[in-house]
Amino acid sequence: MADSAISVSAPVTPTGASPALSGRLFETFVPQLTAGLAILLTWEFVVRAFAPPYVAKPTSVIMAIPHVIVDPAFLTATGATLSAVAEGLAIALVFGVLMGRSQTFERAIRHYVNGFYAVPMIVVLPLFSLWFGYSPATRIATIVFAAIFSIIINVADGARSVPREYLEVARSFRSRRLSVLIGIVLPASMPYLLAGFRLAAGRALIGAVVAEFFLSIGGLGYYILYNSRSYHHNEAFVGVLLLAAFGVGFELLVNWCTRHFMPWYRRDKD
Amino acid sequence: MQSSYVKRHAPFWLSLAAGIVVWEIAGRSTSAAFMVPFSTTLVRLWQLVTTWQFIAQFLDSARLFLTGFFLALAVGMPLGLLLARARVLRVGIEPYIMTLYATPMVALIPFILSMMGFGFAPKVLVVFLFAVFPVLYNTVEGARSIKPEMIEVARSFRSGEWALWREVMLPYTLPYTMTGVRQAIGRALVGMIAAEFFLSSTGLGQLIMSASQNFDTGGVFASILIIGLIGVGLMRLGLKIEQHFARWRQ
Repeated sequence: MADSAISVSAPVTPTGASPALSGRLFETFVPQLTAGLAILLTWEFVVRAFAPPYVAKPTSVIMAIPHVIVDPAFLTATGATLSAVAEGLAIALVFGVLMGRSQTFERAIRHYVNGFYAVPMIVVLPLFSLWFGYSPATRIATIVFAAIFSIIINVADGARSVPREYLEVARSFRSRRLSVLIGIVLPASMPYLLAGFRLAAGRALIGAVVAEFFLSIGGLGYYILYNSRSYHHNEAFVGVLLLAAFGVGFELLVNWCTRHFMPWYRRDKD
Repeated sequence: MQSSYVKRHAPFWLSLAAGIVVWEIAGRSTSAAFMVPFSTTLVRLWQLVTTWQFIAQFLDSARLFLTGFFLALAVGMPLGLLLARARVLRVGIEPYIMTLYATPMVALIPFILSMMGFGFAPKVLVVFLFAVFPVLYNTVEGARSIKPEMIEVARSFRSGEWALWREVMLPYTLPYTMTGVRQAIGRALVGMIAAEFFLSSTGLGQLIMSASQNFDTGGVFASILIIGLIGVGLMRLGLKIEQHFARWRQ
């Protein structure tokens, strides 16, 4: 976020830096570093003082990282979860955009979309496991269910947000359908699509992990479950760190895209 | 008045009726193990909700939800407001709150299980963890929306700490906090079901789990319908709360 600009300019020697830059350095970077260290130290000492030895603490998690990230089981698990999330998101994106864009269809299913969006996604797991069995197909179905409704809602919002005057002007200049789509509709609804995708990606990740817990099929969620059951908390926690990194990564990527490609759009809704 | 109500809500009732018809036909034309029609689901629903067991399960879930949710509010709101005022603290902690907000908290359930076991406390912790970060994250975002000049102006007019809170801090951050509260309601519900699935099986989570383990498809549909309706109701409540406070955010 704000510190990305700092890290670029960090190699500049502090003495040569402008006062504004070093001011920002001390205003953001130093408090962040201090807070991070304080959190880690508190965690370390609380666990050392009060918790049984198997509980994860920063030092032992860091020690576990080198052998976990070369462990084939971990890599397979990560690959399985990530490809399932990618596949589910792709399906949700295609169908979500198609459903959200067609106006009459969207109006007909709107109440269901809003309703399903409010349903806690994990209640469908028992049903999906009856339908698709204890298999990766159930995981994909859960991910699609978790992701698709926020995409439909945001795509429909985006389609409604296209300024009508622009379309009228385009029509009076006899512009072709394709150029209207590329020139007006896409730029106007893109921020909404991205916002929907950001929400959907977070929910998809949760859906994948929950499905793996429930179905006991291979993946990052199951890796965490298995290792924490056998009291390998440090190894399991590396999995949590990776999931957190994906969550934050999606968030930052979408925010960056919105700022970089759509500087005219200000997001202040969720 | 009567006719305007009909006109406004006709599409909703029509699509509801159409959905029920589709469900009924789909249920009748597939095997009963796969899907049950709407009518059968309603019968099963009635059988379910008129037992003492259901009432006990419902109350159990409600207790878990409310305890975890209000604990999250009790921690998230004061902490968020404190961060709103103490700028250095906010800047320092912000990235970590954002990280935890984006982390799928379900991944922590196995740790909680093996450290705290099957009691009520670990489940409350799960609901709390699901709900607290939206509140914190949005409150801090609200705090960031306060322009430093506002505080400077207030200061130069010699406003005290209390007046500053009442006139600047609260009006600016509360609407954001309420967005967080709405998100927290939804997440706490997911947390509640997740806790009931993966920790000790109780409440509405147990209702649906036992139905699916007995291959009672009608029971699964009925309990999904119950939980879904609760979800829709809570979401509407959250939206109402958010809109009530959003009035002064314009």
